[in-house]
Amino acid sequence: MIAGWENMSSSQKQEAFLAKWASGEGIEFAGDEARASYQYRAGLIKDAVQLKKTPDRVPIAPIAVFAPIMLYGYSAKQAMYDPHILGKACLDYTRDYDVDATMIPPMVMHGPVLDALGYHLYKWPGHGIKDEQGYQFVEKEYMKAGDYDHFIADPTDYWFRVWLPRTHSALEPLAQMPPLYGTMELPMAAPWLCTLGAPPIQEAYKALLEAGRIAFEWIQALGPYMGQILSSGYPMYAGSATKAPFDVLGDSFRGTTQLMMDLYRRPQKVLDACDRLVPLMVGMGVGGAMANNNPLVFIPLHKGADGFMSNEQFEKFYWPTLKKVMIGLADNGCVPVCFVEGGYNQRLEYLTEVPEGQSVFIFDRTDMAKARKILGGKSCIGGGFPVSLIITGDAQQVEAETKKLLEVAAGDGGYILSIGCAMDEAREHTLKAFMQAGKKYGKY
Amino acid sequence: MQDLVKAVADMMEDEAMALTKKYVEQGVPPLQIIDAYKEALGIIGKRFEQCTYFVPELILAGEMMKTASEIIKPVMKGSQGDVEAPRIGRFLLGTVAGDIHDIGKDMVHMLMDINGFEVKDLGVDVPAQRFWDEYKDFQPDIIGMSGLLTLAFESMKEVADGLKEMGVRDKVKVIIGGGQMDEHACKYIGADAFVTDAVAGVNLCKKWVS
Repeated sequence: MIAGWENMSSSQKQEAFLAKWASGEGIEFAGDEARASYQYRAGLIKDAVQLKKTPDRVPIAPIAVFAPIMLYGYSAKQAMYDPHILGKACLDYTRDYDVDATMIPPMVMHGPVLDALGYHLYKWPGHGIKDEQGYQFVEKEYMKAGDYDHFIADPTDYWFRVWLPRTHSALEPLAQMPPLYGTMELPMAAPWLCTLGAPPIQEAYKALLEAGRIAFEWIQALGPYMGQILSSGYPMYAGSATKAPFDVLGDSFRGTTQLMMDLYRRPQKVLDACDRLVPLMVGMGVGGAMANNNPLVFIPLHKGADGFMSNEQFEKFYWPTLKKVMIGLADNGCVPVCFVEGGYNQRLEYLTEVPEGQSVFIFDRTDMAKARKILGGKSCIGGGFPVSLIITGDAQQVEAETKKLLEVAAGDGGYILSIGCAMDEAREHTLKAFMQAGKKYGKY
Repeated sequence: MQDLVKAVADMMEDEAMALTKKYVEQGVPPLQIIDAYKEALGIIGKRFEQCTYFVPELILAGEMMKTASEIIKPVMKGSQGDVEAPRIGRFLLGTVAGDIHDIGKDMVHMLMDINGFEVKDLGVDVPAQRFWDEYKDFQPDIIGMSGLLTLAFESMKEVADGLKEMGVRDKVKVIIGGGQMDEHACKYIGADAFVTDAVAGVNLCKKWVS
């Protein structure tokens, strides 16, 4: 913990946490050069975020999931089933492409853990997806309309006893468990404890323990590679991840179709459920950031984009709780990094409502000139480079486009150069051209 | 029946369904009720174009149509027509090989249907061969390919290249849709147009067939 933390304001906390992260405290560097490189790279990001000082140059942090694996000739399946392949590819990618902040290797996940759980919220290589391709989300109505009251009254209980059994086949028996509240008194504890002994529930817990065992082994194998990434001077672009409450409901619980109709059929339930999720999403982001000693909290935004809903609906259903999550993160010294998927051309004015110099918005398809104009001097922006050009273009086109983007978006600071989507694939010559052009034209 | 038209157009679902039931029970000819729905859909369509209606209204309108059809069906005699508008073109649709995302595709399906296209939806993870086979069978005016992921670029290109080899590329319009579709992807794939939202796609398709 940072000295005096409890009595700091949110901006003091952010300054202290960012400074601690950027100093590389706690990392065993390979040498002084690696330490200096780390401090330079993390410093670029710190300066870009805070808007107080123009960085030496624009920090470059392409967001990637499976692209690094593909670039080294491995399949997604190999990476999901062998932590050494995953770790090696991430390490090589980070060094060869010399990114200022690199990907989060555990985001690739470990297939055997999912196998043990009978996980069906996603399809992944070997499970409905070709070996070469990354995982894909399976959106369904996992939470029924009649479940709102349970969810709102007690999200964790709902999550554990209703939602997990519906999305993890090995955990189906958990639906038979009573809530754990009987544990408060000896005479009331029996139903909970006795049910735990029922053979199907024992099997479910065994599956959960086995998944945990495999995951622990996996992270122990992967950890040293992540250690090497840090020790050779490369920070990671997130300490944890969380989500906008509306997206939690829309992605994992109700599904888009149902949630969009809920806006008319049961609007108050949607609002109550989103409100209920705010402290949970803040806590998740802060906890992970603290544990990983990295204040950047990644928030992928999905269902509030242009075209999904009207500004009135965005203002009522999507934005208030996202804003609360962002402010909650900042109050705890973290930096919300919204990954704004799709276009936000109609929404940019709303984004000015968060405290200045405390957040980042990485854009996908938003007009970057407009983003710079509206958010410049208020919040750090980033992204805007089309992944399509990385995949279908040549090095010259990529260089020209990068130069053009920087002219529009870099300003006098407060910009992070990134690709507009989390890359599952890339091409070596274009991605290297992107990195080189960023360093060449991104100098302030 | 302006009350029904207004209820449907303004997304007052409960009221719209109650009115539909009331008119059916009163013995109003089914075709009159259907006409009211057609009028409402016209208004809804305009609101999409004016960008006052978005995904929630699209989905709810589709749901109201479905429920209304079920209410009206029992009193329909033979094939008196249905709630659908007259057909203005044929549209072959699918999410391309390797991609299992269907929300965008389903919205396009619904919206194209409401706007008078005869839609054949091949589902998700559709191999190129099925697009080619269905092209021959269904003879669409337009082929719509959907994909959220960048891997869709290759799958879409394969379909478009195949249409060229079949010598039919100039006989059919090809439109691609999805979050990462842009002018670079469109050029690479060899599509006629790209869109990133369903309403824009439908408006473009309507222009093509008019």
